[in-house]
Amino acid sequence: MGDTILTMNEIDKSFPGVHALDHVNFEVKKGEVHALMGENGAGKSTLMKVLTGIYTKDSGSIVFEGKEVEFHNTREAQDAGIVIVHQELNMLGHLTVAQNIFIGREFKKGIRIDDKKMNEEASKLFQKLHIDIDPTEMMSNLTVGKQQMCEIAKAISHEAKVIIFDEPSAALTETEIEELFKIIRDLRKQQLGIVYISHRMDEIKVITDRVTVMRDGGYVGTLITKECTKDDIINMMVGRVIYEDPKTESAVPKDAPVVLKVEKLNAGRMVQDVSFELRKGEVLGFSGLMGAGRTETARAIFGADPKTGGDIYINGQKVEINSPQDAVKYGIGYLSEDRKRFGIVVQKSVAENSTMAALENFVKGLFIDKKKENKIAQDYVESLATKTPGVDQLVVNLSGGNQQKVVIAKWLIRNCDILIFDEPTRGIDVGAKNEIYKLMNRLAEEGKSIIMISSEMTEILRMSDRIVVMCEGRKTGEIDISEASQEIIMNMATREIG
Amino acid sequence: MNKMVVNTPAEKKGSFLSKPGSQKFIVLLVVICLFVFFSIFSPNFRKYTTILSIMDYSYYIVLMAIGVTFPLITGGVDLSIGTGLICYSLAGGYLVVHCGWPTWAGMIVSVLFGVLIGTLNGTLVSIMSLPPFLATLCTCMITRGLGSICSKSFGISWPTSGSEGSWFRDIFKITIGDTKYPLGFVWVLLLVLLMAFVLNHTKIGRYTIAIGSNKEATILSGINVKFYHIMAYVISGLFAGLASIAYSAVFSTVQPGTGAGFELEAIGGAIIGGVSASGGSGSVGGSLLGVFVICLLKTGLPYIGLQANWQQIITGLVLIGAVMVDILKKRKAATV
Amino acid sequence: MEKIKQNPIVKKIGINRIVLCGVLLLMYAVFCMLSDKFVGMQRIMSALNYAYFLGFLSLGVTFVIATGGIDFSIGPVMFCSALISGYCLTSYGVPMALSLVISVLVGTLFGVFNGYFVSYWTVPPFIISMASMNIAKGLASVFTKTQSVSWPQSVDANGWYRSFIKVGNFPVGLVIFLVFAVLCSILLNQTKAGRYILSLGSNKEAVRLSGVNVKKWEMLAYVICGTLVGIAAIFYVAAYTTVQPGYGDQYNNEAIAGCVMGGTSMVGGLASISGTVIGVFIIALLQEGILALGFSKDYQLIITGIIVIVAVYADVATRRRKN
Repeated sequence: MGDTILTMNEIDKSFPGVHALDHVNFEVKKGEVHALMGENGAGKSTLMKVLTGIYTKDSGSIVFEGKEVEFHNTREAQDAGIVIVHQELNMLGHLTVAQNIFIGREFKKGIRIDDKKMNEEASKLFQKLHIDIDPTEMMSNLTVGKQQMCEIAKAISHEAKVIIFDEPSAALTETEIEELFKIIRDLRKQQLGIVYISHRMDEIKVITDRVTVMRDGGYVGTLITKECTKDDIINMMVGRVIYEDPKTESAVPKDAPVVLKVEKLNAGRMVQDVSFELRKGEVLGFSGLMGAGRTETARAIFGADPKTGGDIYINGQKVEINSPQDAVKYGIGYLSEDRKRFGIVVQKSVAENSTMAALENFVKGLFIDKKKENKIAQDYVESLATKTPGVDQLVVNLSGGNQQKVVIAKWLIRNCDILIFDEPTRGIDVGAKNEIYKLMNRLAEEGKSIIMISSEMTEILRMSDRIVVMCEGRKTGEIDISEASQEIIMNMATREIG
Repeated sequence: MNKMVVNTPAEKKGSFLSKPGSQKFIVLLVVICLFVFFSIFSPNFRKYTTILSIMDYSYYIVLMAIGVTFPLITGGVDLSIGTGLICYSLAGGYLVVHCGWPTWAGMIVSVLFGVLIGTLNGTLVSIMSLPPFLATLCTCMITRGLGSICSKSFGISWPTSGSEGSWFRDIFKITIGDTKYPLGFVWVLLLVLLMAFVLNHTKIGRYTIAIGSNKEATILSGINVKFYHIMAYVISGLFAGLASIAYSAVFSTVQPGTGAGFELEAIGGAIIGGVSASGGSGSVGGSLLGVFVICLLKTGLPYIGLQANWQQIITGLVLIGAVMVDILKKRKAATV
Repeated sequence: MEKIKQNPIVKKIGINRIVLCGVLLLMYAVFCMLSDKFVGMQRIMSALNYAYFLGFLSLGVTFVIATGGIDFSIGPVMFCSALISGYCLTSYGVPMALSLVISVLVGTLFGVFNGYFVSYWTVPPFIISMASMNIAKGLASVFTKTQSVSWPQSVDANGWYRSFIKVGNFPVGLVIFLVFAVLCSILLNQTKAGRYILSLGSNKEAVRLSGVNVKKWEMLAYVICGTLVGIAAIFYVAAYTTVQPGYGDQYNNEAIAGCVMGGTSMVGGLASISGTVIGVFIIALLQEGILALGFSKDYQLIITGIIVIVAVYADVATRRRKN
């Protein structure tokens, strides 16, 4: 390891209602691989986005190669030598690999783009990195893993001095990960500074020199990889004091009937042989890090996405669910994590959104019984304490928490027995959060069964009777609340199988 | 959103249809089959004069199709090319016939007018973010009105063969001795080769494909997307201008108020030739072949006893068929 | 953090309609001032004749645009309906009442065709419209053996259908059109079908995830459009008697223009029948006025084109500002 090449000092950044980065410090040395770890929402992505110019910081300074810098867009950061390999692929499927790598900086012979030279340069690049990809292949024909390798190669080809890898191994096979590590070791030898964002403990141990942990937008500490254990890191990731009392024991009797049984559910890479049971009156927490496959599992159960295998049993009977229509018929409701895109109908009112899943019950002959609709919407506005000037208010004008309550009302009006809440309190202020928790408990007491997908550890520990943990498409753990703790859950969430 | 088709986990090589440009061969096959079919069924079809006539009536459509391929690849569309070409022809023709301008000047005006409207379309779509079909639908109305105003509602006859200034008609069909030769085909082919080169080997073409493939990713790569997006429509307008010259040269009179429906043949041809409605894929050569399919149907059906009206029905059905093939291909690729 | 923003959307439709009415009245006043030939019932009746069929086209396409789609085949399909049913009437001796039904049926069938491909095969609406447009033209031509068809005059035995337009000087057509407009408004705003159609135009996935069969309702919007187009055909022939195969395109743009001017948003989810009605009247009046002033229809086309660009841009810009 050489001198420090990059220092981020006291970086502070807020969004409306969220203090995303709280005086964070982070530094990278030349010739080091520095891991950046933390739970979902810890601020890792935000910090990197501030560095590469996607966000502007509120305060603090960034010093690169001895000079203070401020980038206004990724191009500027790129030109200066700071490059990021994103988690989501940003590729142009209709062009070839070489064309993708050199997009925006093509080699030219007069007016003609020199594809031959681009192919040669790409080949050279791949050879240097020991990657086996044909540069003339159409991007959309490659596997996800290979596409990611291309993305990595593209970043490296920018003559970078600092490279940030954001969850690079998520889509790679074992062999590809080996190749990636070889590349990273090479880059380290060339005195580049490398930031490695990942939750895979085993990889962190193998390839990184130091580990910095963030939590809730703040900087917790930096450890030297060789000298620390997995538990040390986990402690730093979750070591918060939980003020609200976590649940200490399940509210559900051991002999409660099983309302939903999912057996060996398969739906692509994100849902592999997932099996679990949901009992009546239970709140089953689904924990895991981003990309664990929880939303994909929920959507597959709900029929929103096609599944490739597995069986679903409701109250002991096998059911065929191929569309949300089927799922709703069987009494399942799904509150999706992206409220704006999948939850509310933007141009419609509170009342109209509330009855969207049960409109048949509000129809008299051909016409909608608006009086009945308004009344029930009003009833639920009151019982859920939704803040709105009236049920005819357009739902897009309500704040996030209240929009969420309207969506919850929709499923309650439908009278679903099984409710899947996907990140129910995301983007909602503390007051509204507590109301939603109270509501969920009330529903469970009334005999409804709830699956609660959440990335917030406090929420999981506070609400769940039992917890299922997923990691990269597989269920990696299941535990009763009485035996659960942050460390145990995080352990399961970062464990890999195979 | 990443519009790219992602295949998991094994590589999906091998299937002939998944190779880009494979549709071109299928369309070529269709063209040949159609030609053979009509030739067998009707001896008159095989006559040289028939071929000449097919060529003549295809030039303006092919030129439109070459141009409109570009906005289509960006995932948009240009509906103003049909009424547009009539407008450009009327404008240039008016200057030639009623103001005494030399033919070449009128031709230049036609083309420049096309470029102007193309720039307008590009601005509406790229900078003002209007939906392409609506923006070009409006310019379609506007050019229809403008064309008529330019010619004071009269039909315009560009100089007919034999008269002064009619040399431009020879560009497309030249008489040497006793035979007429479809010279236009040579120019059209050259333009096809030129634009294929532009699409595949120049920045304009490359970025047009990039925009159609994944606009956000293209913006993130630091490319001036707004500029290249406009250029796609400028090219379309330019070729509508060139198409207007071909039209003026082949038809004796150009009537205001016509032109609606031409764009269907051009766009339909492009889609049959492999342009995907969602953007990102397509080729100039394919568009050429697709237009030939449409032209063959248009001219060939009467020879086997079906009136030209059937051609419209069949063209419509063929277009749907071509799109369905595209959609089925995408569905198949998206499943595990 | 509970601040509830001002609600401009409800305001927008309301103000929009008032503004449009104002524009309509202003236009009429200006035209009257510019030309004495313009004053009087004659002109208004003439403008109304244009407004009826165009109005039905616009009503129909409003449903399609409400789902976020588009239909360019409405003009040619209208002609196709008029030609096929007219040919049945004049050449096959089909009774008038039945012929009128056939007209509506033809339009509906095209609606089914369009809706099926858009909804169940996810064919982009503009492509299927282009295809239907051609098929409609071709079909009409084949059916009537490329001849034009002339419907009966009012003095003929079968001429009673003309009373749909007017009886004496009383604009019956206006009444019928407004009644249908009200029916459409009720359909769109008070029925399950309308609720689903508007909702899926706003956010199709959210509606699907609520357990609704969105494919069915999306297709229905196109079927409704087709039926209204079939009715439009009746009003066209009642006013203009003769229909020729191969035409109809010119009315597409104007019908869509009327719809968009009236406040129906191109991105879907927001539609105003009353706005469409006023928008249609504006276009019909524009057409009539420009002709009366001695200008050709071309100017009307250009002005309409510009108006639509401005209207859609205003829609796009306000949407962007809200985001």
